[in-house]
Parts: sequence; C-alpha cells; structure tokens
Amino acid sequence: MASAGSGDEKAAAAAMITLISSDNEKFEVTEATATLSQTIRHMIEDGCTDGGVPLPNVTSKILARVIEYCKKHATAAAGEEGSSSSFSDAAFLEVDRAFLEELEEFDDAFLEVDRATLFDLILAANYLDIKGLLNLTCQKVADSVKGKTPEQIREMYNIVNDLTPEEEAEIRRETQWAFE
Amino acid sequence: METCSRASSSLCRLFLRALPKLFASSPGLLKTCQMDEPVHGTDLPQDILTHIFALLETPDLVRAGAVCSSWRAAYTSMCITGHCRLNQTPCLLYTSESGSASAMGLYSLAEKKAYTLTLPDPSGMVADGSPSTFAPSELRNYLFYKAFLSSDPCSGDYFVVLIHNPHSQLSFARAGDDKWTWLPPHTYYEDCLFNDGLLYASTLSGEIHAFDLGAPVVEASIVLGRVKDYLLERIYIVQAPSGELLQIWRSLVPPQGDEEDENDSDIEPELNDDSQLCNTFTINVHKVDLTSKDLVEISSLGQNVLFLGHNQSLFLSAEEYPQLKANHVYFTDDDFMYITWHKNNRRDIGVFDLGNNSSEEIVSPQLWSNWPTPLWLIPNPRRMSSACCK
Repeated sequence: MASAGSGDEKAAAAAMITLISSDNEKFEVTEATATLSQTIRHMIEDGCTDGGVPLPNVTSKILARVIEYCKKHATAAAGEEGSSSSFSDAAFLEVDRAFLEELEEFDDAFLEVDRATLFDLILAANYLDIKGLLNLTCQKVADSVKGKTPEQIREMYNIVNDLTPEEEAEIRRETQWAFE
Repeated sequence: METCSRASSSLCRLFLRALPKLFASSPGLLKTCQMDEPVHGTDLPQDILTHIFALLETPDLVRAGAVCSSWRAAYTSMCITGHCRLNQTPCLLYTSESGSASAMGLYSLAEKKAYTLTLPDPSGMVADGSPSTFAPSELRNYLFYKAFLSSDPCSGDYFVVLIHNPHSQLSFARAGDDKWTWLPPHTYYEDCLFNDGLLYASTLSGEIHAFDLGAPVVEASIVLGRVKDYLLERIYIVQAPSGELLQIWRSLVPPQGDEEDENDSDIEPELNDDSQLCNTFTINVHKVDLTSKDLVEISSLGQNVLFLGHNQSLFLSAEEYPQLKANHVYFTDDDFMYITWHKNNRRDIGVFDLGNNSSEEIVSPQLWSNWPTPLWLIPNPRRMSSACCK
C-alpha cells in the first residue's frame, strides 16, 4: 500500500500543468504544486486541464508569486510525508524542525510586499482556494491592524472613509471605549 | 460573559444587565448587514473581511468596524452571526479610584492595555418587584459567590447555576423559568462546570457531584468522594480539551503577623488592618481519575494556562493565546473572608508560575481599586449586538 501510494505520487508529481494568467502568460508547474489549489485540484480531477488552465482573475505578476508559494509548500508537504514514516528517528525530527523554520522564514519574507500586492494575493488565494496562503495573508492583515486606530488603518491601506457623520457618531456612542 | 462575584455582586449584576445596552446595535445598524458585496479596486470582499476579522481580539474588531462602510458591514454581520474569534483572550474587569461612578476598567492581557467602559445610566434598569434595602454587609449574604452559564445565551436554551452566599449552596434556572430551583441540600460548593449536558460541582472537601439538570428529578451522583479534610484551600474544577477533569487547590498565605488567629472565626469585621495581606502561596493541579475515584497530582500544565477567581474557571492553551504564559495560573481574589474583612487591602491578584511556584504582577502600577474585587471576563463580540439574539 505504502509503496504503491508513493509510486502514484511520484507519477503525479511528474505530470505538468499549464496555468494561464489574465494577461495570457503561461506558467508550467508540477501537479503537486498546482494541487495546493483546491480549485485546480478539482479541475484536474474533472479532466479539464488539457490545453492549460485559464485564470482570468489572476495577473501574471500575482500568479508568479502564488506559484512561488505553492512550490515551496508542495516541497514541504512532500518532505513531511517522507519523514513521517521515520517519526521516531531523532535525525529526521531535526531535519523536520530545520525545514519548518526555513518554511517560516520563507513565509515571513514572502509577506514583505506592498498593500496592493498583499490584497491581490488574498484575492488570488481565495479564488484558487489555497487555504495555507489565504490564512497566511489574512493573518498578515489582522496583525497589521492590531492596536491601530481606524484613522491609522485607513492610512495604511489607503481606504476612503465613506461612513456618514451620523454613522460615525453612532459607532462612537456605542463603543467609545475601544477608541481611547 | 463569565462573571459574578460575591463582594462585588451588586456592581457586577448592574454591569451584566447593562451589557446588552452597552453593546447593543441600533436597528439602523442592523440594516447594513443585508449588504451587497461592494468591491472597488483592491477592496476586499465581505467573506475575506470576515475571515480577517475572525482573527481579531474584540477591541481591534471594534476599531476595524469603524474604518469604512464595507468593513463596518463585515463587523456588523459578524456580531450578529457570532462568527468572531473564538479565542478571545480574557480581560480583567475592575473599578478604579480615578474613574467616575459609572466607569469600569477593562485590562486587555492580549494588548497589555487598559480601557475605560462607560456604563449606561442605571435608571430604567431597576429590578422588578418592590425594592428592599440592605446594608452592604447584609446584602452580600443574599447575593452570589459565582454564576455559571451552560452555554452562550444566544443559543436560546441554557441553564444558569448560582453558588449562593453565605453557605455556598447551588440553585439553577433554565432559560424561560420563572424561579430558581435549589439543588439537593449540599453546602460548600466551590466551583462548577458544564460538560456533556451534565453539571459538575466541586465542594470545599474536593468532592465532585454531577447533576443532570434536564432530568425530571435532579439528583446528585458522586463522581469523586471526599479527598481532603483540610478545608482552607479554594477548589476549582476545569475540563481539559482531552476531556479530563482537573481539580485545582489554591492556598493562601495566612494573614501576616496574625498567624495565631488564622482559624479564629471571631475576628471582628472592623479589624481592617492594612498590614494583613493574603497572597496565593501554592497552587496544586490534580487529574481526576474517574476509574479509581481518586486524584493524581500533576506537576505541570504543559502549554496550558488557567484563569481562576470569581469567573467560570478557564483552561486555555497558550498555543492558541500567544500573549498568555504557558504553565501559569492567572488569578484574582475570591476569598470571601479576606475580601469582606479587609476590603481596602491589596487584592490577591497575579500570575502564578507553576514551574517555580512564584507569583508576579499582572500589571504595574495597580490599575484597580481594592474593592470591589476585579474579575476575569471574556469579551464576547456577539453580545455587542445582543438585540439580534432575541
């Protein structure tokens, strides 16, 4: 069972998928990388990937970043599966830990982007249904608003305040405590 | 809101009653939750905003809800549906000398920041029935030591259980009941928890009784018999996520310079001596072994954290609450004798390290008045729109 399973995975990893961005740029990725996206996984399962997968909601700039993330994390997933059989082996645990640390460093560096890119990455992660990337990017936004006033948040994300004075007064009246 | 206190019951009850008003959304606001999904440029759609907001502590959530109309809509719908961050870090609720009579302080452990809550005018919030007048010293005998909820009241069907002063008996009421029902006549209950539809209650002697409050006749079944004769410790029970029951014993240093009198129940209440201080001295954690009906002491909570006091006792994981210290116990003062007789003395509040059996301050300088005693509270964003729960 185990050997058959890993054989299948090797075959799957070797298969290539072509992703086509909104600006018509083509990206060749392994199936293991592409299937971090549930959306693409379903398309592969349904056999609709011949001739490439058009992604009209994702620009080439963002898709390149998304693929970068998926490649790294697909390798991580494969590494985890490989080491889990030797769970008790201290050397493997050490490798695991080093790998997780490296992955964390990768994620931190990956998130060093401007606001527009961060929001675009969120939208792409949502559209492609890549849970890890969606959680990572949403956490980044959540962390960035911690302890900030509404004014600071607007400034940070270039958001126009379209609340009416009445709405603002109502908010202050109900929850003044949080604004002091 | 898991609150209630013996010495501060009146204030606490006022606050609990005030909460719906304090956090209520007006009908005008509720309308905005039936929104379209405006996506302008890089604006984030509502489902993603909801995903992000679900990662926020209550104060951050409230502020995020005031950024723009799109963020406001996401905030409002979250308050209504209750899809807020589940792991809200507990806050310390207190009164302070400097604040006005209608103000209460809320210290956020997550942000290490103090907020001032303004309570609504109490007029119009008077309890039904003809008012009775008691001196505070009498009144506390009619109020409660602790209160417990079986589940979020938004669920509609829930039980409330009270530990009464001064003899620590239990009573309960189900949502919709018009009276409180006494539980079988036992006294000296110290702490309760709800699990799997049963109420577990622990006594001063470490006994644990289980009650099925939904049964036609509610009887106590003995989960654990008497485990101790020395009755000076405070007893708490919590349930670990693994399902195990834990019983915690907390003992105080006897009043300093007065060791001779520590068991002397004739101390006059007027003896409000500033030099007498109670401090948590040891905290022992035990697993309840349901098979052998015995306790097994454990030396460490691992990555976990306890919150003890007048609140519903809490067992949390520091991995989910990164601002909390693992293997520590956050405690507030709930010692009836000490609070009653030494109400102006420094309260026994701090963070106890189970690794080295020592306590440290939660925040310095002290923010709170010594009386009423502060208590732990988990802000519940859902209660901010409690109007929609009806």
